[in-house]
Amino acid sequence: MLIERLLRRAVPWVLCILLLSTWVPAAVAGPWQWKINLQGQTPPDAMIMPSALEFDTAKDRYYVVDSGNNRLMSFDREGKLLSAFNAGDSLQAPYDMVRDEKGVLWVVEKGRNSLTSIDLSGKTTVPHTLSYQGRTVYADRLAYAAGQFYVLDRASGGILVFDQDLQGKQSFDCPDCGDGGFVDFKLQGGELWALSMLNRTIYRFGADGRLAAKISLGDAARFPVSLAVDPAGPIYVLERHQGGIAAFDATGELKYRFLEPGQTRGQLYFPVELQIDPWGQLCVVDEGNGRVQIFGRY
Amino acid sequence: MMRKPTQLFMLLFVGIVLWWSRADAGSAVCFSCHEKSAFSGPVVHQPVASGECVTCHNPHVARYDGLLSQSVADLCYSCHTKEAKAFTKGIMHIPVSQGKCLACHEPHKADAKGLINGRLRDRCLACHKTLTAQYQVTHAPYARGQCEACHQPHNAGNTMLLRDDDPDRLCSSCHNQDKVRQAHPNYPVAVKGCLTCHNPHGSSRANLVRNTLHAPYAKGCTGCHVAGQSTVPVETCLGCHKEISGQLRTIHSHLIGGNSCTNCHSPHAGDEKRLLRGRQMQICRTCHEDTYRRFEKSTYVHTESVKECNECHAVHGSNHMAMLRGDGNGVCSRCHETQGKFTHPVGDKARDQRTGQPMTCVNCHNPHGSEYKGQMRLNPEKELCNQCHQGY
Repeated sequence: MLIERLLRRAVPWVLCILLLSTWVPAAVAGPWQWKINLQGQTPPDAMIMPSALEFDTAKDRYYVVDSGNNRLMSFDREGKLLSAFNAGDSLQAPYDMVRDEKGVLWVVEKGRNSLTSIDLSGKTTVPHTLSYQGRTVYADRLAYAAGQFYVLDRASGGILVFDQDLQGKQSFDCPDCGDGGFVDFKLQGGELWALSMLNRTIYRFGADGRLAAKISLGDAARFPVSLAVDPAGPIYVLERHQGGIAAFDATGELKYRFLEPGQTRGQLYFPVELQIDPWGQLCVVDEGNGRVQIFGRY
Repeated sequence: MMRKPTQLFMLLFVGIVLWWSRADAGSAVCFSCHEKSAFSGPVVHQPVASGECVTCHNPHVARYDGLLSQSVADLCYSCHTKEAKAFTKGIMHIPVSQGKCLACHEPHKADAKGLINGRLRDRCLACHKTLTAQYQVTHAPYARGQCEACHQPHNAGNTMLLRDDDPDRLCSSCHNQDKVRQAHPNYPVAVKGCLTCHNPHGSSRANLVRNTLHAPYAKGCTGCHVAGQSTVPVETCLGCHKEISGQLRTIHSHLIGGNSCTNCHSPHAGDEKRLLRGRQMQICRTCHEDTYRRFEKSTYVHTESVKECNECHAVHGSNHMAMLRGDGNGVCSRCHETQGKFTHPVGDKARDQRTGQPMTCVNCHNPHGSEYKGQMRLNPEKELCNQCHQGY
């Protein structure tokens, strides 16, 4: 009798636990589902060490910087390779790119340390060496907004703002990074979000350059190299060595992790950049696997 | 019939007597063979002192050396519970992370507190073989063998396991700041960065100044510094070290903001011609702790003959993945010559079916370490080959 009574009481609890155990893994896997890869499978299409992603909302295109092959690739939104462009074989270790409103491509070429403008209509390629307050800028990550270039300078570790004439206007500096600066930044909602790898901290700046908030990720971040700020709330941080993405809330609390290291679909090998595309999808530039993986929301 | 309180008292008495005799009888049996004097000394481990040999040893059979009932670390931490928790924080001393408590401590008795035999420094130098026991000029705590004056023996918040994460603050805990300022007359800026000039263990030069001076520093400060400024931009370094400029104009470089050169190199003085701030692996670990830990914890690690990271990595910058000196084949086949010629097809003609990328050694091997023999990324008897060869 006693055993029967105990069993009767236990059954609902066991059912609850079973239900929870099936539901929890789905929740912690994150709200993203793999959709497409941007990649060329066979030579000469296969990308080597892609490093950055850019978008063209008017033409529904993705541009990928194929740094290992010294070229730029374009894909449609279904992931079909459209074209490859190497500016007459002149690009030297291209790393990042943007498109301005006139359709001119601006490419960070690490090999010649320049911000190179490529006018496709005029078929001209002009390298520009940037300097800020008399010092040479070592350009790295690049963004473009409201007629201004935002350039991550690896020499100073700060983010510098240049006008269309490439005159330095402003800088966003890490207040407490010591011997290390930012490794990535994103413009979102009129603010600049910058990531410090060594401090494992995200710094949110207002447009005027004032620091609005510091979000410490603590030990939850291991080797963060890129970030993406989701207008829906979470901040995603890309882990280069661990091959995964960690989602944090605005206070820096880790909410969940997803993706894992490896070579198959949904796995990452030395990923280098994270972006949320204009269509709300999460894009991972998976450098080691020579592809960009795009994830849509469930 | 005895009354209940009397029964309880009797039971309690018998229990106490049995418990008391158990320990004593156990050790008495042990000492009938094991010489008791070998277990007595100035400091005796508490279980030994109370004759509780069976706390650690199983008298009949055990899976561990010395008839230990558990692994050394598990045994120690079963009593030292506070330490078990505290030692996992920050960066752990290698013996601690490997659970080798006996690398430093004696399990039964010792000459000194902490169950340490002899001078602590001798224990330290037994592993830290690159350290010199005696210098022409030796730092007083080092000469006295007081490694623990500066270093934490178990774990700390920094790779050198210093007692303070700020080395300057650690120095000033003994060295009066007024005297330090007097010893550095005409210094245009605050005196800081002690370790950029001084070797905290010893040197051939007076005042523990490191043996190799940076050439401009030997002539004065103005070769690099603008008057009144302590920071020097990276361009100043590259002005002389032009050969490095090209290495920084690469897809991946160690330009990370601030003066990236001084993250690894001392601008003033060093112990060898590269003026590195310490052993290379130690320097790399400062930022790449996650890599170091994975390397350290792996069952199968890259051969011990790999002493420095720059054997495979171009430490200033590279156009290859992970800042390697070449592609994933070229770097490996410099040492693994045979495998470079006779192995699974690699290179442009053999593509990884999962990614379309050229096959390289690192597609299957993890060059730092893994849980599988040969540092395979996955189990070679199960899923490794099936990743591409699904028909087999």
